[in-house]
Amino acid sequence: MDQNNSLPPYAQGLASPQGAMTPGIPIFSPMMPYGTGLTPQPIQNTNSLSILEEQQRQATQGTSGQAPQLFHSQTLTTAPLPGTTPLYPSPMTPMTPITPATPASESSGIVPQLQNIVSTVNLGCKLDLKTIALRARNAEYNPKRFAAVIMRIREPRTTALIFSSGKMVCTGAKSEEQSRLAARKYARVVQKLGFPAKFLDFKIQNMVGSCDVKFPIRLEGLVLTHQQFSSYEPELFPGLIYRMIKPRIVLLIFVSGKVVLTGAKVRAEIYEAFENIYPILKGFRKTT
Amino acid sequence: MNNTAASPMSTATSSSGRSTGKSISFATELQSMMYSLGDARRPLHETAVLVEDVVHTQLINLQAAEVSQLRGARVITPEDLLFLMRKDKKKLRRLLKYMFIRDYKSKIVKGIDEDDLLEDKLSGSNNANKRQKIAQDFLNSIDQTGELLAMFEDDEIDEVKQERMERAERQTRIMDSAQYAEFCESRQLSFSKKASKFRDWLDCSSMEIKPNVVAMEILAYLAYETVAQLVDLALLVRQDMVTKAGDPFSHAISATFIQYHNSAESTAACGVEAHSDAIQPCHIREAIRRYSHRIGPLSPFTNAYRRNGMAFLAC
Repeated sequence: MDQNNSLPPYAQGLASPQGAMTPGIPIFSPMMPYGTGLTPQPIQNTNSLSILEEQQRQATQGTSGQAPQLFHSQTLTTAPLPGTTPLYPSPMTPMTPITPATPASESSGIVPQLQNIVSTVNLGCKLDLKTIALRARNAEYNPKRFAAVIMRIREPRTTALIFSSGKMVCTGAKSEEQSRLAARKYARVVQKLGFPAKFLDFKIQNMVGSCDVKFPIRLEGLVLTHQQFSSYEPELFPGLIYRMIKPRIVLLIFVSGKVVLTGAKVRAEIYEAFENIYPILKGFRKTT
Repeated sequence: MNNTAASPMSTATSSSGRSTGKSISFATELQSMMYSLGDARRPLHETAVLVEDVVHTQLINLQAAEVSQLRGARVITPEDLLFLMRKDKKKLRRLLKYMFIRDYKSKIVKGIDEDDLLEDKLSGSNNANKRQKIAQDFLNSIDQTGELLAMFEDDEIDEVKQERMERAERQTRIMDSAQYAEFCESRQLSFSKKASKFRDWLDCSSMEIKPNVVAMEILAYLAYETVAQLVDLALLVRQDMVTKAGDPFSHAISATFIQYHNSAESTAACGVEAHSDAIQPCHIREAIRRYSHRIGPLSPFTNAYRRNGMAFLAC
């Protein structure tokens, strides 16, 4: 499969903290192997080791001017095969993100981990919720409270809301692949119950990531200098709510150094947002 | 009308007589709250008791229940409270901002935890921006000149809030990690965290017309704002009290304090710690006295919410 230069560049004009223009970052879709930068080397197979080698080769070639190598998880499969669970690596993989080479910047070395993914899919047919609730395992349906069936599966550990219109919301997955896989599993369950379920318009609606910068942060200083973006009402919520414009992500920053990022549609946004905020947070590090 | 200069003191003493009968006291929480708002590391207990009194009196005297009764309603709703605050635009805007932030925060936190997401869906009603809608609809209905609605688009900087933020920033800059952790915890204290205690403190159960959930949130916020205002003003008063060399008005300023220093009660309160940076009860009283003092030919007759001679700090 020749995937040379077929990756559409991400929105142009993304500003890094130093204001340097980064070349386009590839859009992640669940079907694409991650971390393929805009380098001309063809990516033939999805063997994780070869991708790793390739990345390292690219790094040593000093193609830093070309594309920011984005962190990729060592997915073994790109096509979610129903019934198999892709192996997910431990969060700390050997690859660290190499940010665009500007001498002043240094990569934080911390990678946010995805905690929750919300996705929607259209099963394409009207459903009888009562039948589903009666015959499926792990399904709840309380029409007086809410007009949808709540179904749960254990692998990947997710919850789905299935509506009579055929639309479904899937929450709780820890990665895009898992979310898609889970959604397919729910679709299969519905199919087995006799409905002509399809798998249309799968879309990831929201991604939540979190990480820890490992130092305490002086939020009062941050809220004062970044007033237009932040709001900090400790009586209401112990964290500072930071609304980043580019990318459009909301970050919850806590005194302990924990950062939660939400509102992303693609994984790259979370990483980018974190790389943007990290130097700012370092500036407000609470030293003893 | 018994709104003489002595009345804030006398109401304070009379209501403090009442308060010893009350079993619920927020004094310890108030001490933490005052620390987080700019007071010294360990605010005085007497100051906290006095502040508690002031806040309690002010909230009771809001007489929001009367407004609801006028409407013929059975519950005190946020609309009643917004109505009472309509005269002071800055404070109203701060309240509105608070309500919006509350909505926004619940929206975000909901997206993070999947259980929250389910809970919200299950509750059925469209909770998003609930408070904002309430506020907007109500202000729409009472707004005659269009200036209240203009507040929604208004993006002016709230000076008082700005000052508080700067003060907090200055305070925290010199702290070390442990102190800062403590400071953050104090900042998180609020009346809304202790909702049931707050309800009992206000003696809601004996009221005929009770506030609903959102109204209670607003009351908790108003209580917090009152405390914050008191601390702001008291800090200013304390700053004034320090006579600066070369200040041409220093002899005039100290003149206003003479009556306090002569009275036996306040010397007992003020005279104790000369070195402590904590806010003293006399600062609080002076702050209230100055705040209630309106200068002008018609001042005794203008303020419509004045009851018992104490002007409202929060609205």
